[in-house]
Amino acid sequence: MLVPIFTLKLNHKINPRMVAVGKYDGIHPCLTAATQAGKIFIHNPHTRSQRVSDNRLVQSSQDSDISLLNINQTVSCLTCGVLDPERGYDSLVVGTQTNLLAYDVHNNSDLFYKEIADGANAVVVGKLGNVTSPLALIGGNCALQGFDCEGNDRFWTVTGDNVRSLALFDFDGDGKKELLVGSEDFDIRVFKEDEIVAEMTESETITSLCPMNGSRFGYTLSNGTVGVYDRMVRSWRMKSKNLAMSIHAFDLNSDGVCELVTGWSNGKIDARTDRTGEVIFKDTFSASIAGVVEGDYRMDGKTQLICCSIDGEVRGYLPSSQQATGSLMDTSVEQELVRELSQKKQNLLLELRNYQENSKADSRVQTNEPDGQMGVIPANTQLQTALSVNMGSETQSAHVELSISTSNDTIIRAVQIFAEGIFEGESHVVHPSPQHLSGRICIPICPPKDVPVDMHIKTFVGYKSSVQFHVFELTRQLPRFSMYVQCNTASTPEPQSYVTFTISERVQRVVLWINQNFLLPEETETQSAPFQISFTSLRDGGTLLVTMKSNGEITVRTDDMDLAGEVIQSLAAFLAIEDLQVEANFPKYFEQLRKVLGQVDDSHSVHQKLTADMAEQSNIIRSVLVQAEDSRLMRDIKQMKKRYVDLYDLNRDLINSYKIRCNNHTELLNNLKFVNQAIQRAGRLRVGKPKVQVITACRDAIRSNNVNALFRIMRIGATPS
Amino acid sequence: MELQLNRADYLQVGVTSQKTMKLLPASGRRATQKVVIGDQDGIVTCFGIKKSEAVPVFKTLPGQKISRLELGGALGSVQEKIFVAAGSEVRGFTKRGKQFLSFETNLTESIKAMHISGSDLFLCASYIYNHYCDCKDKNYYLSGDKISDVICLPVEKLESITPILACQDRVLRVLQDSELLYQVEVPGAPSVLTLNDGNGGESGEEILYGTTDGKIGLIHITKNLPVPKWEIFNEKKRGGVLCIDSFDIMGDGVKDLLIGRDDGSVEVYGYDSTNEPVLRYEHVLTESITSIQGGCVGKDGYDEIVLATYSGWVTGLTTEPVYKEAGPGEDLKMSQEMQNKIASLRSELEQLQFKVLKERERYQQSSQSATAVSAVPVFSVNDKFTLNRDDASYSLILEVQMAIDNVLIQSDVPVDLLDVDKNSAIVSFSVCDTEISGNFLLATYRCQANTTWMELKLRSIEGQYGTLQAYITPRIQPKTCQVRQYQIKPLSLHQRTHVIDENRPMNTLSLTGQFSFAEIHSWLVFCLPEVPEKIPVGENITFYFQNTFLDTQLECSYRKGEGVFKSDNISTISILKDVLSKEATKRKINLNISYDIIEESVGHTLKMIHPKLEYQLLLAKKVHLIDALKELQIHEGNTDFLIPEYRSILEDAEKLQEEYKKQPAHLERLYGMITDLFIDKFKFKGTNVKTKVPLLLEILDNYDQNALIKFFDTA
Repeated sequence: MLVPIFTLKLNHKINPRMVAVGKYDGIHPCLTAATQAGKIFIHNPHTRSQRVSDNRLVQSSQDSDISLLNINQTVSCLTCGVLDPERGYDSLVVGTQTNLLAYDVHNNSDLFYKEIADGANAVVVGKLGNVTSPLALIGGNCALQGFDCEGNDRFWTVTGDNVRSLALFDFDGDGKKELLVGSEDFDIRVFKEDEIVAEMTESETITSLCPMNGSRFGYTLSNGTVGVYDRMVRSWRMKSKNLAMSIHAFDLNSDGVCELVTGWSNGKIDARTDRTGEVIFKDTFSASIAGVVEGDYRMDGKTQLICCSIDGEVRGYLPSSQQATGSLMDTSVEQELVRELSQKKQNLLLELRNYQENSKADSRVQTNEPDGQMGVIPANTQLQTALSVNMGSETQSAHVELSISTSNDTIIRAVQIFAEGIFEGESHVVHPSPQHLSGRICIPICPPKDVPVDMHIKTFVGYKSSVQFHVFELTRQLPRFSMYVQCNTASTPEPQSYVTFTISERVQRVVLWINQNFLLPEETETQSAPFQISFTSLRDGGTLLVTMKSNGEITVRTDDMDLAGEVIQSLAAFLAIEDLQVEANFPKYFEQLRKVLGQVDDSHSVHQKLTADMAEQSNIIRSVLVQAEDSRLMRDIKQMKKRYVDLYDLNRDLINSYKIRCNNHTELLNNLKFVNQAIQRAGRLRVGKPKVQVITACRDAIRSNNVNALFRIMRIGATPS
Repeated sequence: MELQLNRADYLQVGVTSQKTMKLLPASGRRATQKVVIGDQDGIVTCFGIKKSEAVPVFKTLPGQKISRLELGGALGSVQEKIFVAAGSEVRGFTKRGKQFLSFETNLTESIKAMHISGSDLFLCASYIYNHYCDCKDKNYYLSGDKISDVICLPVEKLESITPILACQDRVLRVLQDSELLYQVEVPGAPSVLTLNDGNGGESGEEILYGTTDGKIGLIHITKNLPVPKWEIFNEKKRGGVLCIDSFDIMGDGVKDLLIGRDDGSVEVYGYDSTNEPVLRYEHVLTESITSIQGGCVGKDGYDEIVLATYSGWVTGLTTEPVYKEAGPGEDLKMSQEMQNKIASLRSELEQLQFKVLKERERYQQSSQSATAVSAVPVFSVNDKFTLNRDDASYSLILEVQMAIDNVLIQSDVPVDLLDVDKNSAIVSFSVCDTEISGNFLLATYRCQANTTWMELKLRSIEGQYGTLQAYITPRIQPKTCQVRQYQIKPLSLHQRTHVIDENRPMNTLSLTGQFSFAEIHSWLVFCLPEVPEKIPVGENITFYFQNTFLDTQLECSYRKGEGVFKSDNISTISILKDVLSKEATKRKINLNISYDIIEESVGHTLKMIHPKLEYQLLLAKKVHLIDALKELQIHEGNTDFLIPEYRSILEDAEKLQEEYKKQPAHLERLYGMITDLFIDKFKFKGTNVKTKVPLLLEILDNYDQNALIKFFDTA
């Protein structure tokens, strides 16, 4: 049994996921965490005598080991790491919604202080790919940025949605680190510098990522899931009703392989093996865990696992010694094993009894009517399921319909569907009222995203008076583009926007892709090009038109740029196309983007104007205040009153303009997100190298404020330079 | 002294009922005792432990479900004869397993509780108590509510027979022959009775009781009146008590109290110098403890607590240390034994697996036949649906012998599901189309592996009634699910009580009409929880209830053709009026309803609510301030500058937050009830005041008692 070797009560709240250990003088590890009121505390129990005091760093009066760092903004992320290789010791990097600060704690000086429009939700420090100097990489509003120790912008790219988690990790085993990015669109993306080399879709926002052994990395989701990926394949995952707050890879049982240590919102921590997720250790704190880190906190040459709760309780655990390779838990393994085996035996015995009783019942009930008590149904009862598109009615919008029916007079009491990402929770239940029980049930499904989904369907079959029902379990896959219904090519208006590209594949393969990814009333038999097939979206009624010419040229016509991207990515994956250059034209979308770009400019100028106004007003305030005080001293009460009334008015104006500034800023953020997403979308229309080139070129165009070039690049792709 | 106990699992039998395991007295040279246990398959198993292996002594053939198992024998001799109650039959076995008695009682129902003393046999069915002497019927008593346990004070000591019944309406009924001597009110519905110290204490008149809401108490039952000694309230919110035993596990010469509960916790209480019980040891298993006894089973010289669980595991919590520091030789031997055990289990499993595979195939094949049926036997579900007095919420406990895969909760009344810490299942809510399917709640609990026990908590609203259904799917092939139904009654937050305050202003609702006693009783069963389903004896009956949330009261007295309901809460009367007239209309019975509304009762109810409301508002305000104050504290470095009130908030911050967390939505519920009160008050006057509700809420937001009462008076 593993017990903590040290326990600290720091008396400061710790913000979740904002904990790091840094050696700011290169020797002594200090626990650093963000706390309330825009402050960061640094716990340094090693050097009690020598202390410095300066503008930022203020020693806490409560606890002599703790220094407080005033950020004066809500901290959104922090980390420690060697940013300046020449100095060779750790710097503290702190991100807020508007700024990034790199701070040298030892010398008490700023390395750089940058304004970042996209905010910083996550930060990592380290070397990325072939970039020579270490970078502070931040993920914000759809954007990723990297700064070196002087604050130079060395890396920039966009991603699909707001970034929530980052990790540096050698994904492809080439000795260089790739950047793992988890974002709010449920995707984990792997960036080899600015090229996306892999993309994994999960079922919720990815809240943290951590590198583990070799090609494995751990992840957590905002629905309480924790898991491990081996490259692109998920090794295991488990879900809890609590949230995983922080994960860290640490070798707790000294077997040379790191375990995944998870801190939970209910105060539990557990360590799970990287391969199977089996729990080898657990402990409980009284409050939610804020962070799990490691460091040689006792300075005795051994690294400890350090867990912090949001109440400021810190515990350090030393890995178990090599000899005691038993269990880290207090119950004996053998006892557990016996219990488990007995449980299995009991289960098998029960199953056996079920069959015996069944055959007994069989001979008994042959002549009688089936009675509800036993849960008796005809043995040949079968379930039929069918997926189809329902065009909806006045009361119901169009949807995909899953119909389930039994093959005889039995009824369906209820249906449970477990599927990720298409329902609000992880499951959906249909439970008709007793008057409406029948042998057939139709379930409307509206997948919000175009992803293939496995639906695990459990159907309770029995009779109306049954108390025990048979559970039929089956799995159906919902195709990726199930929300698009085939329609008559001739009658639909042709969308203005289109994407064109050429592939060297047989038509049959493309047709196969269509059959597999769309819900067609019957499979298309088209064997030769040219052919055309059109669909209507059930979500907004938009049209999707896929045409293939005999020379292999495919045109996808739709006004939805996201959809076009999805189609291309899905098709390319199906046909294993590595690089694909396309020509795209989305006039409506481009027009919108042009407007947004204009608004961004406006917002910037408004911002400048407001800032100037504010400066002016504060000058006036100063002078009015002086005047008012003068009047008071001269006992000119009337005048003083007037001045204070003025002051009150000015103050109100200031608050008003602050509100305007806030609104302006939110608008700016939204617009910037839109721009970033546009670049991302333009990228998704391409595959492989052209994709990277487009994103880089778009970025350059925006930097040089060349709007026309931007649209040209989006349209025809980057001209290889 | 701290107690260190180690867990050892001995054997698994079928599902067990409450109080069905006993330890036989040690005999001969051997000091270890044998365990005898009866399960719901009707099998009595007796076994001893040799070298940590279970060695069977005897095993009977399956039969009817065994509901009780007791030991007996001639008075003054060793109590080693085994008696089991199954169905309406009592069987007796010698310790070698020879059946010497088979007594078919004349009870029409199956036996629920049994006690044996010499040649006297005390049996209880749901409502009936029967006393047999040498299998001859001697005494009979019909109880007013369901009987959960029976006991008789030791005859040796008192030289008279004093049976005591534990009844669901929160009383212990002390009998003499066929007559009720007196009854004792206890703080919860009693679920188990035992003699203190196993023999009734020095006087032989002390009994221990445990309740379904987890309380334990000691009562001295004298000839004329009861003397309560002590009570342990269930502050930690543990489960209901299922079994109690007295045994000196601490080894200090005083018998300790061993408690087994339905949430799997086992507790040991010792006595302090003032003879008050003190918790000494606690252990939590994952399933309910049906029987508990102290003794020596596993190894000579080491005392232990032997437990039987719902799924039939016999487990010991032994004082024998686990050999960790022992010499290498011994260590090896231990693990060798274990290894053998594991190996034999594995081979057994393999054979079973093979057998199951074959059977599975046959089952699959049967699905080809047009005439065959697929019938899966009903698995047993142990469930409990109770109202918690402390937070006026219902708790639903489900326990199945196998691991639960998932539980689907469906309700046709609006209820709120609350989060339970102990419950690790992942809940997901489905959208309910109330108009089409009539569902107000559809929630799926997907359980983690090896969950056999789970607890749900839910909050109901008085006046909204219907059914809650739980579909339980265990993890076993062929997959089936069982549905269980639980009624949410119109006055769901009321609880039975035996005394009420006569001085409160009471509103009255009177009914007269052509209905029978049985009919009006069935309406009451429909409206209120904890009313016995059986029609009470006699011509008329009176029940008292208390609202667990507001502490208002209700008195119901009725007979054939007439019913009078009195409550100080207008809303209660209003709900009763609505439901009763609806029920009567359903049966086409003409009811004359008259009511007598006392104006001052509203003010009285508001005054009752006032302290709760004020406390909640203050608590909410304080909790609201905590974060801001903490920030100030960090900013300034100390708290000297704060006024004492704020400083005290900071000091008690954790306690306040915990309390606030414990009763979520308490304030909203109070608001809801005040609103109901407001609407109901004017409903009886014949005015609809729904439009004035926003005004009322505004007053509540800036709460002042006088303003509220004034608003009620003037609106």
